[in-house]
Amino acid sequence: MNRYRWLALPIAAAALAVVPWVTSDTIVQYGINALLVATLAQAWNVIGGFSGYPSFGNSVFYGLGTYGTAIAMAQFHWSFGSGLVFGAVLGVACALLFGIPILRLRGPYFAIATLGLAAVMSAITATVEIAGKNIGLILPLFRGDKLFYELSLILLVAATGTVAWIARSRFGAGLVAIREDEDAAQVMGINTTMYKVAALTVAALFSALAGGIHAYWITFIDPASAFDPSLNVRMVIMTLFGGPGTVLGPVLGAFVLSAVSEVLASQATGVASLFYGFVIVIAVLVMPKGLLDLVQGFRETGWRYFVDNLRRYRI
Amino acid sequence: MQLFGQILVNGILLGGLYGLMGLGMGLVWGVLKIVNLAHGALIMLGGYALYYLYTKAGIDPFLGLPLAMLAMFVLGYLLQTALLNLIVRAAQLNTLLLTFGLDVVFVYLAQLLFTADFRTINPPYAGKNVSISGVVVPYAQFGAFLVALVLAGLLFLVLEKTRTGRAIRATAQNLTAARLYGVNPKRIYAITFGAGAALAGAAGGLYGIVSQITPYIGVTLTAKSFVIAILGGLDKPLGVIGGGLILGIAEAMAALYLDPTYTDIISFGLLVVVLIARPAQLLGRA
Repeated sequence: MNRYRWLALPIAAAALAVVPWVTSDTIVQYGINALLVATLAQAWNVIGGFSGYPSFGNSVFYGLGTYGTAIAMAQFHWSFGSGLVFGAVLGVACALLFGIPILRLRGPYFAIATLGLAAVMSAITATVEIAGKNIGLILPLFRGDKLFYELSLILLVAATGTVAWIARSRFGAGLVAIREDEDAAQVMGINTTMYKVAALTVAALFSALAGGIHAYWITFIDPASAFDPSLNVRMVIMTLFGGPGTVLGPVLGAFVLSAVSEVLASQATGVASLFYGFVIVIAVLVMPKGLLDLVQGFRETGWRYFVDNLRRYRI
Repeated sequence: MQLFGQILVNGILLGGLYGLMGLGMGLVWGVLKIVNLAHGALIMLGGYALYYLYTKAGIDPFLGLPLAMLAMFVLGYLLQTALLNLIVRAAQLNTLLLTFGLDVVFVYLAQLLFTADFRTINPPYAGKNVSISGVVVPYAQFGAFLVALVLAGLLFLVLEKTRTGRAIRATAQNLTAARLYGVNPKRIYAITFGAGAALAGAAGGLYGIVSQITPYIGVTLTAKSFVIAILGGLDKPLGVIGGGLILGIAEAMAALYLDPTYTDIISFGLLVVVLIARPAQLLGRA
């Protein structure tokens, strides 16, 4: 069985790839959103899960990707491909520029600095002429949900593949060392600054690409939607729910939570969000290491897994 | 010049209230090492508590404030005992996530129970003010400012002079050592979180007097409380009030000289600059 485990991923990806041809439009549209947010969660996983730097500002990269693609297509009349590249370049440049000063901060200080960066970037975008100020930009209309679905799937597979490589590489081991004890990692000869900036850059690249695809799909963007702060929270929660620092956890968490909120949103909005809050609270208490750990732990110790978790971190 | 004076006074009055918001956040953060993302939601709940005390029971808001604080203290004490004590030793991300979940629960409970309408606590003296050489000082705002200062002073005295305060400070410094000296950390944590919730409740009540409450005011207030707690230094109540004043004045000045849309750029830009410019000092505490 274990010999063929690596086959499961390509099969799952292939199964997801045929979805648009066998289901309805609403499912495809829901699928595009789920795939893009899973990509964001996976990108966050690199900086938040592996290096342990809790970024609440990855929406900056998503927003820059969104705006880069939109500006290139709506203002410069470039093609979608060049627009995506332009957006990705903006996102990566931002990660390189702000990564070095901000990654010197640790823990909650880093978290709040990224939060501030996101707020500032959103406000700045709303004052720039070429970005359409507060009003936003309209992209050329292109109807092709299937194409966007497949593009999003390819992006998610690429992000997951990258994370799978990181998890096995020297680079990934360095990031985990930084997460566990940054000073020790530095003493061991890891160039922590370079590792951290590289991790943030990888996260920025995939977030920006997701933003670009979303921009062309939705065809209308404004600062509030491109730099939506709740997006940050969602990608973090999905990663933590699935299992941070693992290869498949963020994807699993994103799919499960997207499905839950989709089902609940069709009922009543207030009650749905309330339930979402309860799910988060209970999940943190009884499965603090995410779904993947839950599956494994439950197989080993059964119901005691939950009791152990409740006991582990209490005072 | 008169305009400048007026804006400065506005900023200072707002800043006192901001300081009170930062106080509860800083206390919980400093002692429990929990960044409480539900802080803004607790502020919001305190606002509603005072609103209903005033409109339903007819108690003057400034007299009702201790009652609202007591209710919030009980809520905070129970939250810590029942939930947060279970995960207080987990990784910081988990505590962040749990308080975020609580935030979501509180916001949507408030939306269901209190509706999304704007509420203002409107005592008869709300519109009255005194003019000092052309600068207008509204009574309600000034009262809120004074209450914030008194509460900060009280917190300082409690932490410095009482037995419980010493136990709180000892727990913050070294949990194991405090335990060895007979401190019961469960109780101390619950009291600290309760006190943080009570301070948030007071801030929320005062916010309801000088501004408007909806279930959704919490998110920005959480972020601002965080900024203020950092600006002021976590373990110094009077420093946190100073942080609040800095933010209040900076926001008021930005709204006047730049544009009201720049207030958020200022408060968060200030934060990023402060964080980057003085990391050595901050890293020591992180």
